Amino acid sequence: MLIISIKLAFYTERWGLAMRRKQQAARGQVGESGSIFASRARPVYFNALARRRYRGLTSALTVASFLAMAGSGALADEATAQGKPVAQPPNEQLIEKLDRMEARIRALESELHRKGETAESKKQTARTAASRGNPAKAPAGAKDTAPGFPGDNETAALEPPPPPNNDLFGVAPSPLPGLKIDAYGELRFGAQQNPAANGQWQTGFDAARVVLLPTYQFNDNIVFNSEIEFEHAGAGFDADDKLHGTAEIEQAYVDFRISPYINFRAPGIDLVPIDWLNLYHEPTNFYSVMRPELDNGLIPTTWKAPAASIWGQIVEGLNYEFQISQALEDFGGDFGLRTAANTVPPFPLGYAPGIDGVTALGFAQAPLGDFRQLSNYLGYTLRLSYMPSFLPGFDGGSTVYFTPSTTPRGAYAQINGALRGRSSLTIFETDFRYHVPDTGLEFRGEFADVIVGNPANLRANNDGDPTNNVGKSLFGASGEVAYHIPFGPVLGSKWEAVPFYRYTSQNFQTGGFAGTDLNFPTGSGRMQFHDVGVAIYPTPELVLKLNYTKALNAAPGGAQSDSVLGGVGFFF
Amino acid sequence: MDGWIHWSAPAAAIAIALPAYAYQYSTVGTAQQQAFPGARFEEIQPQGVWKALAGDRLIGYFFVDHVIGKHLYIDYSVALGADGGVRRVEILTYRESYGFEVANAGWLAQFAGKTSGSALEINSDIRNISGATLSSRHVTEGVKRILAYYATHLR
Repeated sequence: MLIISIKLAFYTERWGLAMRRKQQAARGQVGESGSIFASRARPVYFNALARRRYRGLTSALTVASFLAMAGSGALADEATAQGKPVAQPPNEQLIEKLDRMEARIRALESELHRKGETAESKKQTARTAASRGNPAKAPAGAKDTAPGFPGDNETAALEPPPPPNNDLFGVAPSPLPGLKIDAYGELRFGAQQNPAANGQWQTGFDAARVVLLPTYQFNDNIVFNSEIEFEHAGAGFDADDKLHGTAEIEQAYVDFRISPYINFRAPGIDLVPIDWLNLYHEPTNFYSVMRPELDNGLIPTTWKAPAASIWGQIVEGLNYEFQISQALEDFGGDFGLRTAANTVPPFPLGYAPGIDGVTALGFAQAPLGDFRQLSNYLGYTLRLSYMPSFLPGFDGGSTVYFTPSTTPRGAYAQINGALRGRSSLTIFETDFRYHVPDTGLEFRGEFADVIVGNPANLRANNDGDPTNNVGKSLFGASGEVAYHIPFGPVLGSKWEAVPFYRYTSQNFQTGGFAGTDLNFPTGSGRMQFHDVGVAIYPTPELVLKLNYTKALNAAPGGAQSDSVLGGVGFFF
Repeated sequence: MDGWIHWSAPAAAIAIALPAYAYQYSTVGTAQQQAFPGARFEEIQPQGVWKALAGDRLIGYFFVDHVIGKHLYIDYSVALGADGGVRRVEILTYRESYGFEVANAGWLAQFAGKTSGSALEINSDIRNISGATLSSRHVTEGVKRILAYYATHLR
């Protein structure tokens, strides 16, 4: 536009000159060459604008050209606003850039000035605080100025200090931003009756588990969670190491956080969302040394499976998770006994049941590795967990689990090798915890019912063993009362003691029997447990436990598995 | 073959209709307005501390801070009245897969009225959440730290 304006001004000049020439021609002042400069009579000054007659007109044209220049700027803006590309003249671009830089410098200056002021005022405040002798209510990160110490008052920060970067086991910063590793573990020791030794009391120790929890945040919406677990001090092959435990990946999944109402957990190893204790199984979450009995067999904590799920909030205080997982397998034998065809060992070799009337579901989890699952069946779980606002201190959950069949490929009856068909499994479970507000009193309860679709097809009812049969139903219930007593400070932190008592009743052999076995249950499938003890928390991340368990069942001679155990558990 | 369209169409409709704000329960601006409706905010500390003003009168302070849940940060805000008591605690962003019950309004309402002299201890004057023990403990500690900071620097 500037070019146009310059051209306009130029042509205005030319036009003025042309008019001048015309005028002179009219007066006869133009020479033979026709040039206005070659007048002999009167020198003509090349200043068309000075000529009075055309001055007004040329002035008007010049003004118009300047207006055009100004208007071009406005027009350019309008055109840009309309989204049309406008070629700005270089001068204007430079001027604009300079204006922007000036504005930025002004902004930075004022920010610097402000920061200088606040630094001054914070020094003032720190000095006043020190002189007033303020007691240690300072934020964590401000250093105390004791007399004689070169106190660092200036670093008594104005902003709330950021939480320490404790990404690695909660004690050291992480080498890779976004990666955090937590840990938990349980160590147990004490004296137990050994039922296999006729109830003899034997002392012992178990490094039950040490678990690492690497978490990685890909971005704010995608998170990787995992648990790497070493049970019974790990696994090894050298005879002098005496290791017959487990090293396993207990969880490994990626969460896509879409909204508070729906999130997607990609297929991976995940906990089946049944039973609060299965989901929150860290040792600081329960008070007895061993995990609650109901959560050992009836719900085979830690029950993890290849799974994918969607989860989120329905309304405030009500959350859901719907999971599809690999179904439980009615095969309880060693992994190495599976055939290459992914079936149970062929008849007549025999195999151990996964679901039975003594251990319930304890041996029924599907394997997590190498595509060696024994069926194509899937399990479907829906859990609702609630924290109602009308009952503060209460939270609970209820779950339904269903799988069309637990029968593995090639399942047969031991008596004749006849193939067994499908048997569905349905589990109803509900649990709650209620901490009465403003008191130390806490109640916990749980109920689980496992319903077998077709007991005649379960291995336990067809393996030739008459004592481990399963009826149509396995169920259990437990109730617990605890009291939180704060004390201390001791050794630099506030402690809490939680004495507790829990009663558990289970029946794994009820609801009628069907199958090829003879049926002579010993009564060991009907059991009760009394747990009493105390859990002491030096910090919320560490627990010291002492716990006496009395086990009763309907078998002759009783359960013969009482115990007095101590435990150390940590979760950080 | 055409049957799958019947199922995927409503699913697609739901997916499109859902707001794409992920883990973020609230923004700083929304939380500020909810705590002090109609107030003007003056930043004392960039991204951290604001004064809430009605005209020229100081009506409170607004803090934004973060604490660790189990592994990942929880962004939260604390609004204090001019008397130094907590008016409102808000969870702005919760990133983890478990423990988001700390964002429940009923649980956060416990902090209303707390001052720098309050105990602010889990299982004492603040209820625990059994499935979110670490998150609830750390948020409580964060509010306590902010009240302590207020007592030493702003009062």
